[in-house]
Amino acid sequence: MILVGVVLAAFFLLYPWLLADDFYGRMGADVLLAAIGASAWNILGGYAGQISVGHAVFFGIGAYLPLLAFTHLGLPPVAGVPLAIVISLGVAVVIGLPTFRLHGHYFSMATIAVAELIRISISNWDYVGAATGLMGPAVSRTWLDLSFRSPIPYYYLFLAVLACLLLLTWHLQRSRMGYYWRAIRAGERPARSLGVPVSRYKLYALLLSAAFTSLAGSLYSLMVGYIDPESGFGILRSVEMIIIAALGGAGTLFGPLLGAVILIPLQTGTNSLFGGGGSGLTYILYGGIIVVLARFEPGGLLDLWRRTSQRWSRWREKAAVGHAA
Amino acid sequence: MLLSAREVTRSFGSFVALAGASLDVGEGEIVGLIGPNGAGKSTFFNCVAGDVPPTSGRIVFSDVDVTHASASAHARLGIGRTFQVPATFEEMSILDNVMVGAFLRHHHRGEARAAALDVIEFTGLKALAQAPAKSLGTPGRKRLEIARVLATEPKLLLLDEALAGLTPGEIQDAIALVRRIHAKGVTIVIVEHIMEVILTLAERVLVFNQGLTIASGKPREVVNDPAVIEAYLGRRHARDPGAHAP
Repeated sequence: MILVGVVLAAFFLLYPWLLADDFYGRMGADVLLAAIGASAWNILGGYAGQISVGHAVFFGIGAYLPLLAFTHLGLPPVAGVPLAIVISLGVAVVIGLPTFRLHGHYFSMATIAVAELIRISISNWDYVGAATGLMGPAVSRTWLDLSFRSPIPYYYLFLAVLACLLLLTWHLQRSRMGYYWRAIRAGERPARSLGVPVSRYKLYALLLSAAFTSLAGSLYSLMVGYIDPESGFGILRSVEMIIIAALGGAGTLFGPLLGAVILIPLQTGTNSLFGGGGSGLTYILYGGIIVVLARFEPGGLLDLWRRTSQRWSRWREKAAVGHAA
Repeated sequence: MLLSAREVTRSFGSFVALAGASLDVGEGEIVGLIGPNGAGKSTFFNCVAGDVPPTSGRIVFSDVDVTHASASAHARLGIGRTFQVPATFEEMSILDNVMVGAFLRHHHRGEARAAALDVIEFTGLKALAQAPAKSLGTPGRKRLEIARVLATEPKLLLLDEALAGLTPGEIQDAIALVRRIHAKGVTIVIVEHIMEVILTLAERVLVFNQGLTIASGKPREVVNDPAVIEAYLGRRHARDPGAHAP
């Protein structure tokens, strides 16, 4: 187990050297960015079981603020990152308090509605670039602009953020917080009867989830240097986080990373295979994954792996006993 | 008095489920709540557990007014409850289920785990500690619910038909478990349909019918009370209690 961990960690650290061109470097950065977003969603949607389909709100705030700081104040985009997190936390409280009164599908639908409302407002607000969006610095003025031509610096920045996020999640999942989240997901009424302050712990999950989703949005716009309402606040953004987390395994530590490692190259592949005309394929791919996961593997790939390896070890034990006899 | 509920009522719309029930429970007692289906036992039980706020009335626990306190506040104050239909956390292991309860009094993982393991041993679930809750049958689930709530270290334990659906042998095991919990100093209020359980366990019984308490006293006396027999079996049998005493 430790060996597997070391090999995987070494792979992620050395990846830019293994496939040393910009296309694969960029894809690696995209994978890590998607893994950050999905891992952030996973805290609320996976561990605490509150399926938000509106996380694009936090991603969008995270993506817009750095470019707003640049466009209107001439600041390095990175200056907008902490402000974006603060605003996301504020928005999380405002959205969370009323929507957490809803359960299951109703909660999910409410989050969609809020996200779409914000997307449409942003599309019509000239100060934030309306439908055309915002640009980052075209050329790097100082290193503080974090505008690099090569994807490699972004790759390592994202890797560091992802490592911090996963370490924090690992710590929380073993603590009282993580147990209470899983209890809430399994049943709010029994959780309450055991002394779990359900609303408070849901809010903790949302705040943490929103802060890191906002950070993912900021990292996106730092790298891409451009944002518009659709790529910041579009529903596809939320759906992508959910599908990646669910594909690998929602509510598991490494599920979102696994999902990103599979889905992002697949997406990049279909997009480049069909050129610009293939972008609609992403929706078809997402739809297909939703259907397959919902029908056959609601626990995701890590769950499938766990069950299969258990079956193998049982089968091997049985075989060993058979030989002995 | 550990628990004192006064004139508790609860309506759902125009339907009055509980028309004014009172109950005093002293420290160290085992009190049984019985009554036919729909008599208001469960509603009363849920009011005392903080799951459903009473429409009117007053509930005091350990000198604290808990009438409108949340369910989680009840747990913190020391009122634990089980559910009529077991509500175990299916995907989590038995140990993790019990740890959720243990985290109420022990904030650190190591301490919560140790406390949970003690309770698991006490309730006889040790061999299954790592198994997922969904692998248990009904008796196991009921036992796990009891283990989970014991881990919150309640002063008052409310058991909602914790023994329903068990075989006679399992019932004997469960009765023994309730006795051991009581021996540890936990006060118990038990809702139960099975007369045998109430007769062997409870020192005092409260009988519900149509949202009201119609009798209370020692179990043997109460089951021969004509009003109680009438509630269960109808008026014809009440006239001749000897022949059809439940």
